[in-house]
Amino acid sequence: MVVAGTVLLNECQKRLIIMWSYRFNFMLETFMIGFLFVGISFFVSGGRPTPEQMAPALLGYLTWFFAVFAISDMSQGIREETQTGTLEQMYMSPLPSGLLLAGRSVASLFISSAMVILIGGILMLALGIRIPVRIEGVPVFALTIVGLYGFAFFMGGATLVFKQVNALSNLLTNMLLFLNGSFLTVERMPGWLEGFARSLPSTQGIDVLRRVVLDDLSLASVWQDGSLVWLTVHTAVFLFAGWGVFLWGERVARRRGLLGQY
Amino acid sequence: MKSAIEIRSLSKTFRSRGGNDVEAVSRLDLTVEPGQVFGFLGSNGAGKTTTLKMACGLVMPTTGTVRLNGYDVGRQRGPAMRQIGAVLEGTRNVYWRMNAWQNLLYFGRIKGVSSTKLLKARAERLLRELDLWERRKDPVGEFSRGMQQKVAIAAALIADPPIVLLDEPALGLDVQASRTVQEWIIQLAKERGKTVVLTTHQLDMAESLCDRVAIMSHGRLLAHRSTGELLDLFRREFYQVRLRGVVEAEKTGAFPGFTASRENGHTVLAGEVGEELSVFDLVERARAAGMDLISVSPAEPNLEEIFVELIERAKETAGQDGGLELDAGARPAGIEIRG
Repeated sequence: MVVAGTVLLNECQKRLIIMWSYRFNFMLETFMIGFLFVGISFFVSGGRPTPEQMAPALLGYLTWFFAVFAISDMSQGIREETQTGTLEQMYMSPLPSGLLLAGRSVASLFISSAMVILIGGILMLALGIRIPVRIEGVPVFALTIVGLYGFAFFMGGATLVFKQVNALSNLLTNMLLFLNGSFLTVERMPGWLEGFARSLPSTQGIDVLRRVVLDDLSLASVWQDGSLVWLTVHTAVFLFAGWGVFLWGERVARRRGLLGQY
Repeated sequence: MKSAIEIRSLSKTFRSRGGNDVEAVSRLDLTVEPGQVFGFLGSNGAGKTTTLKMACGLVMPTTGTVRLNGYDVGRQRGPAMRQIGAVLEGTRNVYWRMNAWQNLLYFGRIKGVSSTKLLKARAERLLRELDLWERRKDPVGEFSRGMQQKVAIAAALIADPPIVLLDEPALGLDVQASRTVQEWIIQLAKERGKTVVLTTHQLDMAESLCDRVAIMSHGRLLAHRSTGELLDLFRREFYQVRLRGVVEAEKTGAFPGFTASRENGHTVLAGEVGEELSVFDLVERARAAGMDLISVSPAEPNLEEIFVELIERAKETAGQDGGLELDAGARPAGIEIRG
């Protein structure tokens, strides 16, 4: 437990130091994320966005931001660390690589949460959007995030083996923005696209999160209608498949000598 | 006493889709004793870095094992990794956006040093020893190449591992920085009893630093000896005959196998002596030809000459069954040749 805590604090500290060194980019990125939301909301609502319309969109949009952060952190992060050789140093640690990566993921979650609070807070204040804080939303949010990190591990494992996977991860994160139901509900999509959209990480989470947080439904009711069950299954599949792919990627990278090669 | 590093039947074949598999390391057997400075020498693609990476657990061997102070890297990963610190070539090894102090604390923790007090004490000692203390708060990215390399070495040593692996430690460093790193390597081995394994192309550095060297070519071990033994082995066979003035080419033909060169207006013949032509014969022939003999001395070979010769021999015998076979008669005491 002490080791896990040390690893987590160490990773958080490193991330904050590196982020601070890029503070100008960070500020611009925060501004861009906020601006993008306002812009898309404006177009989607035909130029007349209302706070009521924007609340579900903002909830989805902020969840999408978690997805972007988790995926790029794992995929792009691994690619960069392969180039700099720090990934090899990490793999020379006597601590299990799973523990170190879990520490990195939790650190990434803390930092993305801080950014979401900042961006979300500014947008809510500026646009008069109200998202109630409901304790019942916490487990739904947690399930959504765990599934997202499962997917991020999937991309991370693929990055270890296929070095050009970064373009695919960019494509997926952009695709998520328009297909995870943030701005356009999946029910309004053509049947074939709805099926695909529902299979993506975060879509089901956003759907359940909205119903619990904005529509005031209880956890029992979303469990009974099957949507929370489906989210749980979704999360479990992404988590185990993602972790499995990551372990596979590690093994292949060690066999082919790819941990320090780009 | 356990060997610091014990490599047994280690092979690595990288598979390729086209079926052109590359055997980077082939049936390597060697041991490195505690406190030694051990040099891996070889041309590019010889298999040095792959061997080092297999020792670090970064590359999985196709066959064979590596033990670090008795711990099997494949099966006892955790304790095995506590035995080593490594600086690998061609990469930064540390975070350039962080300063030297932050890097040392970060890597100390991921290498399992749990006591912050101990970690800080070690980081301070390392930074002071490497003359980086005054600049500990500057981002590593702003440092010179030599200083960055020092930070990488300090990060490899922060958990105080008994074995240090350095892949081309002085590559790209200026003379002064290279000298500092070399002095430090000697200090690590001689004063702190650490086992240092280094790969290098700088053979003069290997000669001055290494207690023992392994010469590799195409994944195979050509020679594995103490540096002194290797140099002695060659020193006994090569002689230089210094003759006054410029000696005509026809006359130097009396010394078959010897090459002639000019040095400060004199003629220097250099070549190998053996049963056919002894040192005594050399002197006799020079006198008989009326040459003015200045001196006859054993040539002082350096590691570079030995390296070049072994590599050339390996190339000549490449593809032959049994691989490299040096003439046993011409190599008294024999070099451990791996076929």
